[in-house]
Amino acid sequence: MISQFFVLSQRGDNIVFRDYLYKARLKRLVIVTTDRGEVAKGSAEIFFRKVKFWKEDGQEEAPPVFNVDGVNYFHVKVVGLLFVATTRVNVSPSLVLELLQRIARVIKDYLGVLSEDSLRKNFVLVYELLDEVIDFGYMQTTSTEVLKSYIFNEPIVVDAARLQPLGPAAIFMQGTKRMPGTAITKSVVANEPGGRKREEIFVDIIEKISVTFSSSGYILTSEIDGTIQMKSYLTGNPEIRLALNEDLSIGRGGGSANDYRSSYGSGAVILDDCNFHESVRLDSFDMDRTLALVPPDGEFPVMNYRMTQEFKPPFHINCLIEEAGHLKAEVILKVRAEFPSNITANTVVLEMPLPKYTTRASFELEPGVTGQRTDFKGANKKLEWDLEKFVGGVEHTLRAKLTFSQELHANIIKEAGPVSMTFTIPMYNVSRLQVKYLQIAKKSSSYNPYRWVRYVTQANSYVARI
Amino acid sequence: MGCIRVDKITEYLCDPLQRCLKDDDPYVRKTAAICVAKLYDINAELVEDRGFLDSLKDLISDNNPMVVANAVAALAEIQENSSGPIFEITTPTLTKLLTALNECTEWGQVFILDALSRYKASDAREAENIVERVTPRLQHANCAVVLSAVKMILQQMELITSTDVVRNLCKKMAPPLVTLLSAEPEIQYVALRNINLIVQRRPTILAHEIKVFFCKYNDPIYVKMEKLEIMIKLASDRNIDQVLLEFKEYATEVDVDFVRKAVRAIGRCAIKLERAAERCISVLLELIKIKVNYVVQEAIIVIKDIFRRYPNTYESIIATLCESLDTLDEPEAKASMIWIIGEYAERIDNADELLESFLESFPEEPPQVQLQLLTATVKLFLKKPTEGPQQMIQVVLNNATVETDNPDLRDRAYIYWRLLSTDPEAAKDVVLAEKPVISDDSNQLDSTLLDELLANIATLSSVYHKPPDAFVTRAKTATQKTEDDDYPDGNETRYSETLSNAANGGASPPSSSSVPHAAARQSAPAPAAPAPAAVPDLLSDLIGLDNNQIVPADQPATSSGPPLPILLPAGSGQGLQISAQLVRQDGQIFYSLLFENNTQITLDGFMIQFNKNSFGLAAAGPLQVPPLAPGASARTLLPMVLFQNTSTGPPNTLLQVAVKNSQQPVWYFNDKILLHVFFTEDGRMERTSFLETWRSLPDSNEVLKEFPGIMVTSAEATLDRLAASNMFFIAKRKHANQDVFYFSAKIPRGIPFLIELTTIIGNPGVKCAIKTPNPEMAPLFFEAVETLLKA
Repeated sequence: MISQFFVLSQRGDNIVFRDYLYKARLKRLVIVTTDRGEVAKGSAEIFFRKVKFWKEDGQEEAPPVFNVDGVNYFHVKVVGLLFVATTRVNVSPSLVLELLQRIARVIKDYLGVLSEDSLRKNFVLVYELLDEVIDFGYMQTTSTEVLKSYIFNEPIVVDAARLQPLGPAAIFMQGTKRMPGTAITKSVVANEPGGRKREEIFVDIIEKISVTFSSSGYILTSEIDGTIQMKSYLTGNPEIRLALNEDLSIGRGGGSANDYRSSYGSGAVILDDCNFHESVRLDSFDMDRTLALVPPDGEFPVMNYRMTQEFKPPFHINCLIEEAGHLKAEVILKVRAEFPSNITANTVVLEMPLPKYTTRASFELEPGVTGQRTDFKGANKKLEWDLEKFVGGVEHTLRAKLTFSQELHANIIKEAGPVSMTFTIPMYNVSRLQVKYLQIAKKSSSYNPYRWVRYVTQANSYVARI
Repeated sequence: MGCIRVDKITEYLCDPLQRCLKDDDPYVRKTAAICVAKLYDINAELVEDRGFLDSLKDLISDNNPMVVANAVAALAEIQENSSGPIFEITTPTLTKLLTALNECTEWGQVFILDALSRYKASDAREAENIVERVTPRLQHANCAVVLSAVKMILQQMELITSTDVVRNLCKKMAPPLVTLLSAEPEIQYVALRNINLIVQRRPTILAHEIKVFFCKYNDPIYVKMEKLEIMIKLASDRNIDQVLLEFKEYATEVDVDFVRKAVRAIGRCAIKLERAAERCISVLLELIKIKVNYVVQEAIIVIKDIFRRYPNTYESIIATLCESLDTLDEPEAKASMIWIIGEYAERIDNADELLESFLESFPEEPPQVQLQLLTATVKLFLKKPTEGPQQMIQVVLNNATVETDNPDLRDRAYIYWRLLSTDPEAAKDVVLAEKPVISDDSNQLDSTLLDELLANIATLSSVYHKPPDAFVTRAKTATQKTEDDDYPDGNETRYSETLSNAANGGASPPSSSSVPHAAARQSAPAPAAPAPAAVPDLLSDLIGLDNNQIVPADQPATSSGPPLPILLPAGSGQGLQISAQLVRQDGQIFYSLLFENNTQITLDGFMIQFNKNSFGLAAAGPLQVPPLAPGASARTLLPMVLFQNTSTGPPNTLLQVAVKNSQQPVWYFNDKILLHVFFTEDGRMERTSFLETWRSLPDSNEVLKEFPGIMVTSAEATLDRLAASNMFFIAKRKHANQDVFYFSAKIPRGIPFLIELTTIIGNPGVKCAIKTPNPEMAPLFFEAVETLLKA
């Protein structure tokens, strides 16, 4: 299995390093290194150099798995940290990559925040965790719940306020005042200063949507990657029942990509595929769409789902480019929010590559708007439009006048790239998948923990071609 | 437990381990199970003697799933490192493990699924049962579990005969595979590499899902590249319009490499789908009109291939291509354009002018372009034998023969020259001969490799698309090897002399390597190392194993050993002398090196690097050479791996090596790869399968060569010697007064060689005929046989 595990900082410093197969052997003049254990000691450095200056197959970014001199390196990036494993044998790469993600999550569960700083401060605890998670290169358990009974170090809490938290829950931190911001970054084992833990449970429905519009405004492809994320701070691990829409159905019948359109508007939510966390029992799922589970401590995905059912895209983009005389052109970008006006999207950014020989761009926003920023990035010839807030039902327009340094070869539309958009819409989900109720098995009548059910929609790849 | 990995600890470990394996607490048992694997790594015999393996097997029936999972993992690890059968999955074990599967942690499920994938079901019924038990795993949230389950199902599917069941399974596998693409980009990458293999075998699984492989604008580049590859594989007449629209969109994006690949993808679709070719070409022409330099160049390269695929169909577009002639600055694009001009010289009115414009800069062009220019000019001359081209050809031939030092170019020019001056008609037949139609086989794996990779789905080899033995160095041979270094078997001694000749010959470029190097042979320096230890060849092969046990382990490794050919004489290495050659030991390839320091200073920090070569030979680990004091020498065996950095073009034997140390400049020298080093131990063929294979290969794959100077004096000694080099004797028959021997051999990637040797014992002259699926290897093979027979 794996030989080494290490965590590198952005600059390539070793923060955590564990060698599971280090073997003291007799010094001999001739050493044959074929033993699986002997991944050389300098592997972290070799790895970092390779990743930093990757240039192979015409690509500039290292793939997550590669081989240097017989050593296989796996890595994932989490909040700027590189989690790396090495091995010499033919293992399952998805297993190792999944493990690396999982280690990051377990450490985050324990430390509250995952950052270089928190890792360094808690290295004793981190090593203790690693020894339980991996033995001789074989993964033992990555469940925070199970690990609890073997881990005795207490985490040293790092000030979370000034650090970017990890994971999908981070999006709730932006702008919305309704959430208790610090709760989501607190450690699952650390006790609150008051001595008593607050009983609460978070259920987040996070949907990442990918939409591609054709130049005439039709939807070419649309897809939702959703996940129901849960983070429980309940003592005693009571059983929980989670009810979803009753009209939920799974699997497109027939296999043809087109016949689901007929169901559009009927209100039924049809998932293409879904999978569940191992703690979920599906006894009554087929009957009434409820999930029963005893949530382990820590953050985990209860259910992942994917759907290609047609949905109403939250934003409609309209882009017009016209040549306006010699060496000049005008771009008109219109964006309309198609969701109700009581909902506000935030951190909306639109980007559009412009023709290569654009030298200057001047922008004209609607009169009187605030919280909008425009920019022309000269280096990569890109137009950027940031909108801090975007209230539902409203339409915003941007006019940009471009100046070119030379005559256009062909149609200007061919040379300006597609408009891509990123946004976050809290308390809104496009799939209409809902948590109807969240029931916690009661221990006593006075037991009434806080329950948070939150929805959010994020852009994954939201592109309009022109 | 057992983390202190030294020999001395083992005796203290055994008794507690025995108790722990039977402990009441499952946590203790599961830790003890892994500890057995650790102990096996330190001292394998001890584990077998103390019966830990049996205890481990008992743990498979444990009632705690975590213990079962660890026991399976430990057994699999031990099996991996041992040559004997230790962990065989029987039907009862299978049932037990399948039951445990449902209860295990996600990691345990992967261990069990991977172990079970080695199980061969006895019939279709059993296979169906297994599949039924494994299918629910496809719903798991952990991608590793899903992929391992897919692997299991694909394997059992081979046995299932009912088409209904197979179709049903394919349907069930599609959604989970697609869902993998919603995971983190790192996992997506692994999934895509695996899907790439799966669609090559069973394209139906994902035929309807092509949309999910459309690139998202925020995908990392490595994911985008893989998606393109799969889109090409899934493109069909039905979805080609949609796919082309996507490719066109990608071709206008910002990332240069991605754009190039997208353009190339359009070309490959044109070659793959005849009915869509026209649409593809019109898209390419649209792209050329945008006049983005690298798009145009890439488009021209693929259009050349389209012309090869559909000759005389789309020439009308040549005019458009010619417009962008002067923007070309990359060798491959230039060469492609020149090829097009030469090929269609009769239809391009100003072909001579176009070529002439290129000719001005002939001496500065890269070899690729020079070669194309030469051929194109000859074609032009043959098609339009007028005055202009005649002058051009004079210039070109002069340039290519007198003023160049590129042997390929020179040789080709001489051939054309001679052809043209002796028989222009023959030249026409040769140069303007009809070319075979190409098909889109780039990135297509050959079926034996694909089989092997499919068996390895959800492992690293499915990500690299290389068989496991190409990048994994087996641990099981390692235990013996440390001792073997001191007593290399006789093979080395035998080859050393011929090798030094060969090494000298190898230094000259491959195109002229067929010329016998009589001079080189004489000037070959005599081996400098001390005379070989008096170990008779065969004896050491036979008693090699016993030898190892007798030899005290701490014997200095430097002194005795067979002489190696000197590749870097002390004269040219500023006092450092390096002798080296490739050897095969215990089924593995090593580079045996001897360093001698004749300088006045201590040399240290040795490193080694191999250039691209036909077999992709590369070091499997760092070079281990201790600091060398003045006058000292050191010998080392460097384990090698295959198929790492393979050079393209026809196979040749050149191995370029660079060695550096901290005190001196980098030394470069050439070595020669002898094919018999690659002959694998499993090359033996049964008589019947030999006959079948011989018949199944077409006659065009038979190559013949005579060695007039070689005499076989004793059949037995020759057979033994060949067998020692993994060339296995199969049968013998008498034909007139001649003896005919049949042998088989095999090189990695499962390429077999079937050999027929005809000779009269005691008389000089041996005729060797071989049949192989890879006849381009034949010259290399003959060289190897010659070396073996001469010994």
